[in-house]
Amino acid sequence: MIELRDLHKSYKRARGLAGFSMHVEKGEVVGLVGPNGAGKTTLIKILATLLRADGGTARLGEWEVTENPEKVRAMVGYLPDVAGIYQDLRIGEFLDFFADAFHLDAAGRSAAVERALESAGLLDRKNEYVEHLSLGWKQRLQLAKTLIHEPKILLLDEPASGLDPLARMAFRDHLKKLRAGGITILVSSHILADLEEVCTRIVFISEGKNVAEPELSGNVSDEFAPTVRCVIEFERSSSAAEIAKAAPGVRLVESTPERLLVAVDGGEKNASLFLQALLNGGVVVSHFDAKGGDLEERYARTFRGVSGKASP
Amino acid sequence: MSLLRNPMIRKELRQRLRERRGWVLPTLYILLLSSVILFAYSEESGRQSMPNGVQGAEIGVAIFLGLIFTQAIVLLLMAPVFSAGGITIEKEQRTFAALLTTLLTPGDIWWGKFVSSLLYLLLLLSCSLPLLALSFAFGGVEPKEVLEATGYTILSLGAVCSLGLLCSALFRRSVHSTAAAYAVVLILTVVTAILFFYLQERWHSEARDWAGMPDPIHVQGPLLLNPIYPLLTLTGGAEFPYALSSCLLFAAMLLLAAASTMRLLKRSGEQV
Repeated sequence: MIELRDLHKSYKRARGLAGFSMHVEKGEVVGLVGPNGAGKTTLIKILATLLRADGGTARLGEWEVTENPEKVRAMVGYLPDVAGIYQDLRIGEFLDFFADAFHLDAAGRSAAVERALESAGLLDRKNEYVEHLSLGWKQRLQLAKTLIHEPKILLLDEPASGLDPLARMAFRDHLKKLRAGGITILVSSHILADLEEVCTRIVFISEGKNVAEPELSGNVSDEFAPTVRCVIEFERSSSAAEIAKAAPGVRLVESTPERLLVAVDGGEKNASLFLQALLNGGVVVSHFDAKGGDLEERYARTFRGVSGKASP
Repeated sequence: MSLLRNPMIRKELRQRLRERRGWVLPTLYILLLSSVILFAYSEESGRQSMPNGVQGAEIGVAIFLGLIFTQAIVLLLMAPVFSAGGITIEKEQRTFAALLTTLLTPGDIWWGKFVSSLLYLLLLLSCSLPLLALSFAFGGVEPKEVLEATGYTILSLGAVCSLGLLCSALFRRSVHSTAAAYAVVLILTVVTAILFFYLQERWHSEARDWAGMPDPIHVQGPLLLNPIYPLLTLTGGAEFPYALSSCLLFAAMLLLAAASTMRLLKRSGEQV
C-alpha cells in the first residue's frame, strides 16, 4: 500500500530524510517513532503531497506521489501535528466544506457529513459552533474531517499531542476501530504506550533513516529485544540464586532465600526460559512478574545505541 | 468545478458575514456617502445665491462626482483589508495544510478567496447605487455614466484585491501582507500621481504649444496605473483620453497577480 524507497529531502539548514525506505501492507497500522528532528513530519508531509522529495520514490497504492498528487490526495487523509480549525463555522458546515472540497456530490456529501458526525459522536451538536468544542472533541472532529472522503490511507502526525488522558483514550479507541475496518494508517507519536496499543508495527526513524523495526510481540530474536526485569517469589530455597547465576543472559540484581530480582536480556521469551529453569530446578515459585518489555525501553536502547541522539 | 459552485466561496462568505464588521462597515459606509451628498448639495445650492446662480444639473453632477470619488477612495482603502489576509489567515490559524491536501486546486483556492473579498466590496458598492441614483433627480448625469463609473471602480478593486492576495501568498503573517498591500495601493494612487505631475511640469516647460491639448501618453503614462484615472476620464474626457488603456492595464495587473498567486499556492506546502 505504501512503498518508500531511498527518500531524500533536505532543507536549507537541515536534513529531513536521508535515504528512508519502508514498505507498508494494506491494513497495517505503522507507528513512526523517533527523536525530534528525525524526519517523521517531513516523511508524512511528503506522503500528504505537501512537500516534494529531493530524491527517491514514494508510491501510495498505484500512484507515485510527485507525479499524481491529485490521485494521492483522493486516497489519503492527513491530520497535521498542529491542525487548525475554522472556529467560526458550525460543526456541520465545517464537515460539509471538506466534503465539498473533496468533490463529493450533494447526496454523497450529506451522507458523508452524517456518517462523520456519527463516528465522532457529534450528531446532536451539528449546529454548534466549532469554537465551543473542547480540545478532545475538536480532535475527534478533525479526525472525522480527515475521514470524510473515506481515504484508504490515513496519515496522522502526532494526533494525540495536547489531549487529556480521557480524550487520548477515546482517540486511541477510535483508531482501533479504524484499524478493525482495514484502513492503512501511518502514525507518528511520542506517546509510545498508545502506539504499542494501536499499531501492528513500529518503525524507528533517526536522522532521516529507517533505523529499526522492533517487534511488538514477545519475539526476542530481534537485536532490539528488551531487557526484562523479573521479580520471583518462592518457598525458601538455596538453589534459586545458583540457577539464576548459571542461566544465560540472566543477571542477579537482588537475592534473598525467598525472593530474587533479576534482569533477563532478550525479552520475555528468555524470561520464560528462566522461569522454566527454576521450576526444573525444583524451586516452588509462588509469584513471577516480568516487566520492561515495552516500547519505551526499546526506544531508549535504540536511540542511545544507534544514533546516540535520543532526547534524555 | 464551476466558477460559482466553489466551496471556498461559501465558506469565506459565511465567515465574513459572521464578523461584526459584516454589518458595521456597510452602515458606516452609507453614513459617509450620505454626508458627502449633503455636503455636495449644500455647497452647490449655496452657490445659488451667487450672481450667475446654478442649475439643478450642476447639483446632480456635484453629487455624482462626490460619490464616485469618495466610494472609489474608501473601497480602495478597504480592499487590502479584505484581500491581503485571505491566505495568511489560513497559515496563521494552521488550516492551510488541510486546505492544500484536499482536491481543491490552487485556482479553486484563489478564485474562492478573490470572489469572497471582492463580493464584500461589491456589496458596499451596490449599497451606494441608490445614492448615486439621487443625482438623476437633479439631472446632468446619465445612467451610462453611473454604469461606467461603477464598472471602472469594480475593475480597479478587482486588481487591488488580486494584488492583495498575491501579498497574502507571499507572506506568512497578515500584518505583513496587509502592510505590503497598502504599500502597493499607495504606489498606485499617490506615487503615480506625483510622477504624473512631475512629468507634466517638465513637459509644459519644454513644449511651447501645449495649451488646450491633452498631455501626451508618455506624460500620462504613470497615471494610467492610478485606479482613479478612469474616473477622471468621466469628468474631463478631453483632458484624460486613455480610459481604455488604463482599464487594460488594470485587467493585466489582475491576471498577472492571479497567475503569480496560483503559482505560489502550488508550491506553498513548505510554508505549512
